[in-house]
Amino acid sequence: MTGTSEHVLVERCRQGDETAFRELVEQYKGLVFSIIARSVTNRGRAEELAQDVFLKIHKGLPYFRGESRLSTWIFRIVVNVLSQERPELASTSLDTEEDARPRHEPVADDRAFMDLVMKDRLQKAIERLPVPYQVLINGHYLKGLRYEDLAEALEMPMGTVKTHLHRAKRRLRHLLETELR
Amino acid sequence: MLCDHLEPLIESIADGSYEPTVEDARHLAGCALCSSRLARARAIESLLGMREVAAPSSSFTGTVMARVGQERWKTERVVDLGFNLAIAAGILVILAAGSGLAWSLGLVSVTIDLDAIWRAFGAEVAGRVLSQVQTIAMAAVLLTMTLVLWWWAETAAD
Repeated sequence: MTGTSEHVLVERCRQGDETAFRELVEQYKGLVFSIIARSVTNRGRAEELAQDVFLKIHKGLPYFRGESRLSTWIFRIVVNVLSQERPELASTSLDTEEDARPRHEPVADDRAFMDLVMKDRLQKAIERLPVPYQVLINGHYLKGLRYEDLAEALEMPMGTVKTHLHRAKRRLRHLLETELR
Repeated sequence: MLCDHLEPLIESIADGSYEPTVEDARHLAGCALCSSRLARARAIESLLGMREVAAPSSSFTGTVMARVGQERWKTERVVDLGFNLAIAAGILVILAAGSGLAWSLGLVSVTIDLDAIWRAFGAEVAGRVLSQVQTIAMAAVLLTMTLVLWWWAETAAD
């Protein structure tokens, strides 16, 4: 969506045009739901949370000043909604190297590691990451989301996003090597 | 020592954002621990890229619009309730002011003595009313403002 058409859509929504808001939902529901569904495994709950995001968007549009891209602003709301859903994971600082080292070294068992079960274990490991890490991982591997969007939504410099992405994957690996073996 | 040096770089090597040096590459090829870590990191990278993109149900947009409508209705109800309470309070104030005015004009006995009502329409009472014209005008302005506010709120709600 270009800046102009995005601006027009937002203005129409602000004027109470329901068709415009419906268009906005259609435009962004895939992105919003994909990210949430990757963090919240219960599909029904994921849908509810995705709906909550759009309700917040509807309430917040009059205050959206257009200083960032609409997608970035929406993405930030997704992060907030997920943080409220998982408060115990919301406030974890990304700067700490907590759990950076495995508690014990992995056993060379790559065949089992590569098993299809890995998918399930990977999902469980992602769910145990701090919400910002989850969003980084889930957002980065979705098409159409740029580093800039991730950086703005998480309020961190773009260069830091890559660092945190690597840290998030490193933490995933450690979880899979140790606690989720 | 090289294991410790490479461990934080494993993810960068796995996703191709870091090119290992010759020394790193030689170590990775010969060290079971590091090569195992790299294999895991590559597996994670690959699985993350292959994860299915979930799609919301076909009724998603309709449900969102219905919830938006419900929220708006709730807000309007609160505004309506507040406004109706304000109107009721305004009417009470006007009635109280009217009663006070009647009392100050000496008309209190009118409600008690019907004969006095007849007499109150006489020239003397008219003269007293004229002397209170400012108060009456103020009450009229207040009533008009209340009605305008009511009209505005109803129009805005539509």
